[in-house]
Amino acid sequence: MTVAAQYFQAMLATVQRDAAVFLSYRLRFATQVLSMLFTLTIFFYVAKLVRPDAVGAHGKYYAFVVVGIVTMAILTSALHLSELVRMELMAGNFERMLISPLGPVGGAMSMAAFPIAYSCVFAGMMLTLAAAFFGVPVHLAGIPLALLVAALGALAFGAIGLLFVGGLIAYKSAMGAAWVLAGLSLLGGIYFPVSLFPAWIRWAKDVQPLTPAVDLLRHLLVGTTSLQPVWLELVKLAGFALVLMPIAAAVLWQAVKISRRRGTIMEY
Amino acid sequence: MTDSLTARIAFGDGEQPLAELVAPVAAEPIASFRGVWRYWGRGRERWAVLRNIDLDLEPGTATCVMGANGAGKTTLLRIATGLLAADRGRVTIDGLTTDDSWREYHRRIGFLSAGDRGLYARVTVQRHLEYWAALAFMPRRERKAAVRDALAQFGLEELAKRRADRLSQGQRQRLRLALTVVHRPRVVLLDEPRNSLDGQGLEMLAAAVGAVQDRGGAVIWASPVGEDQPVDFDRTFVIEDAELKPA
Repeated sequence: MTVAAQYFQAMLATVQRDAAVFLSYRLRFATQVLSMLFTLTIFFYVAKLVRPDAVGAHGKYYAFVVVGIVTMAILTSALHLSELVRMELMAGNFERMLISPLGPVGGAMSMAAFPIAYSCVFAGMMLTLAAAFFGVPVHLAGIPLALLVAALGALAFGAIGLLFVGGLIAYKSAMGAAWVLAGLSLLGGIYFPVSLFPAWIRWAKDVQPLTPAVDLLRHLLVGTTSLQPVWLELVKLAGFALVLMPIAAAVLWQAVKISRRRGTIMEY
Repeated sequence: MTDSLTARIAFGDGEQPLAELVAPVAAEPIASFRGVWRYWGRGRERWAVLRNIDLDLEPGTATCVMGANGAGKTTLLRIATGLLAADRGRVTIDGLTTDDSWREYHRRIGFLSAGDRGLYARVTVQRHLEYWAALAFMPRRERKAAVRDALAQFGLEELAKRRADRLSQGQRQRLRLALTVVHRPRVVLLDEPRNSLDGQGLEMLAAAVGAVQDRGGAVIWASPVGEDQPVDFDRTFVIEDAELKPA
């Protein structure tokens, strides 16, 4: 068995573990679906208050915001990773991951896999329900490329999640995760177009992966006009994923070294 | 190791009894602690919890490390696992340090931490073992047998489908022990392993230590001073004043 296969199987085992834990809470899925339906309904009526052309010539606000919400759900699951690691530390389980051949970086990545994959599936379900019950015009032809965009977005968001795990391990705090989530939901163009912002803050759309991800998904799934050419948005998103992931891995590894030296690695 | 012994015998004097040829050949240690120091605290509050520790673990041996509460037993084991870095000195397993290869180093160790933590409440006994075997990079074809053996070794067969949060304390400890050895590590580090075990559990634990020795592995068993031990150790040490001394 190759080393890559060993890593893959260990990560897959972590995904299976997380799936088993998730499925052991029988009502969790049902309550999440219910919550999703409430969200879809609320925005369905909010959208009736918004001018049809408010989000561009080819879009309707409801479709615009639904795609924004599902993208945000994927980002939230990635940024929740530090909280998952904190819970594992408290339960004494992260130690097992740390002393395994998989190591802290592989371990944290594998812990991110199930929540992010689940949020992607859940996002697909939400879009399906939005199309079936609320008339969101989902373009089936755009789905294959949208899956690629979702994967790239998940990688980029996962890397941000890993950076916060590094902060948690080194400094026992990942409070910045909530701030980043709030900031991105405001500046990333989730609930309204970034063009509504004053010019001095519009640069924010270019320095994080949420805006190209959500913009591409909207373009591919509901036909809104993208802010920039599709290829450029794709390159930007891939760039964020490819650059952020090794940086996050290096930061996490450095955090582990610091806390091993300080003797605080098992503290929380 | 076997190859090394065989080579030395083959080049020895054929007139001498085999035992005399073999006896002087000291087995190379699987694990070595060399000049290990570890401090806690900072500045003027800093104190050495381990001072210049040298220890070799030979194949097929079990070593007991005793000490009062806070003497440094857990610190010593955590340094061996790589959870803590030594301030000076180093620990090697099969010549590897954690810096050489985190993966290969950790494939070789099994660690039981003190206490009763480290289990997933809603995960079954069997899934725990399957998970840990995969996490330890055990080849897939070996995992099924390894899990079966670990279940049998610690009397967990009938509990295989039971969730961890529905186990008694003693059963949880047996599961934690099974997780420590399921991947057949070369070096097993046990921190106060008697925790909550009844007589039968202690027999299983002693048998598991024997099994590690039989396959040429090495065991460190850390326990408080004065605790009765169910295992005949090859060597016993005590940590006193941050130093490792023969008991």
